[in-house]
Amino acid sequence: MLNPILLALVLFIAFKIFMKIQMENYTFFFLSALFPWNWFSACVTVSTGTLISNVSLIKKISFPRHFLILATILSQLVNFVFALPILICLSYFYAKGPAISWLLAVPILIAIQSIVTIGICLAISMVNAYFRDLEYIIGVGISMLFWLTPIIYPLKMVPDAYRIYLTINPFTYLITAWRDVFMSNVINWSGIAISFGSSLVFLLVGILVFKRLGKRLDEVL
Amino acid sequence: MNSIVEIKDVWKKFPMKRDKPGFKEFMVTLPRFINRSANSNFWALQGLSFNVKQGECLGIIGRNGAGKSTLLSLMLGTIYPTRGTTKVSEKITPLLELGAGFHPDLTGRENILINGVLLGLTRHEVSERTEEIITFSEIGGFIDMPVRTYSSGMNLRVAFSIAIHTDPKLLLIDEILAVGDEGFQKKSKDALIGLIKGGVTTILVSHNLNAIKEICARVIWLDEGKIRAEGEPERVVENYQGHIK
Repeated sequence: MLNPILLALVLFIAFKIFMKIQMENYTFFFLSALFPWNWFSACVTVSTGTLISNVSLIKKISFPRHFLILATILSQLVNFVFALPILICLSYFYAKGPAISWLLAVPILIAIQSIVTIGICLAISMVNAYFRDLEYIIGVGISMLFWLTPIIYPLKMVPDAYRIYLTINPFTYLITAWRDVFMSNVINWSGIAISFGSSLVFLLVGILVFKRLGKRLDEVL
Repeated sequence: MNSIVEIKDVWKKFPMKRDKPGFKEFMVTLPRFINRSANSNFWALQGLSFNVKQGECLGIIGRNGAGKSTLLSLMLGTIYPTRGTTKVSEKITPLLELGAGFHPDLTGRENILINGVLLGLTRHEVSERTEEIITFSEIGGFIDMPVRTYSSGMNLRVAFSIAIHTDPKLLLIDEILAVGDEGFQKKSKDALIGLIKGGVTTILVSHNLNAIKEICARVIWLDEGKIRAEGEPERVVENYQGHIK
């Protein structure tokens, strides 16, 4: 709860006060994307170490190991839901309040983002058990992805020549869909469709990696 | 009666790696990884086969490192055999290591709930039995203290009480009874004998040969991952004792 607010504060000071970005409702603009992003990045960061830190459970009790990852993602979802009132307030002041469309779009987007996150976290947590130094790379990877996704800047600010690289990033569509709901009460169906499609790919790869490498997990833990 | 544990020609190897597992190390040792024959392996289990029937009590004895715990983990399903198959057609209640499955920061009472649910009961069933479990463990007021403050004996008492009060069908017990005091050892032995009479299948790993002789109907002597002898407890245990002298 405190973490996203502090990060938001730092970004606000850096971009709004120091760099004086000229954009209407800039705080609302980046918060509407930052909160969903924080949910994702916290899940990845935490679940990297989930399997390793639960060795005693994994080795001594037989239970479906993916529950550990699902639990991580759900507990981080709670943090995200607690951040929603902030967005509701901002929406009330800057965008004529939350509309009915939120009731449909927010659950859909939560579901899609859960699927992506589950896929990625399953794969990362398992691979990290084999290669323990992966977590340092993950940290850098997450912050790279943060800057390469239109979170604190709009997609149209990116020069045409480079925009193509952002459009192959599936998170671009997910984040844009979140922002469309929060800022303009619009359900961005094409963004939702693309995110959903890519989320299934992530989930499939995640499950495959988790199952395949899980067979030899006891040798490395 | 039908077998509820079927172990067929099971082999299990562990890689002997000195390096820390890491991507950096992986790149450095890549030539060794590709040339698989250069890797040394430790074969913890080498072609075991046996069955355990419903209601039977099987004892497993053997020196340290003979593969006893590996075998139990295989039956439990927390590790997979390299070759061969293990089939267990019953709910397993494991007592493999002290405090396994206990969360150190939660109280004994909360851990009873979590463990009971992990062992397949509903939340409601566990809360019905909580008092019974606490009484059997004789742990008194400490049940509301975090588990990290427990001694190994207290840990065992709670874990054992949970295991026998959650309708076990197949008990896997790995040596942990040894940390209980005289009184509790007797109490737990009696409880086990009662359960076995009631038809609960039990697989018991122990260095307490007298207990093995007393409780088990059949004993397997493991030696360096192979079955050295199998059958009548008296005979196998004597054989084993003769060997270690």
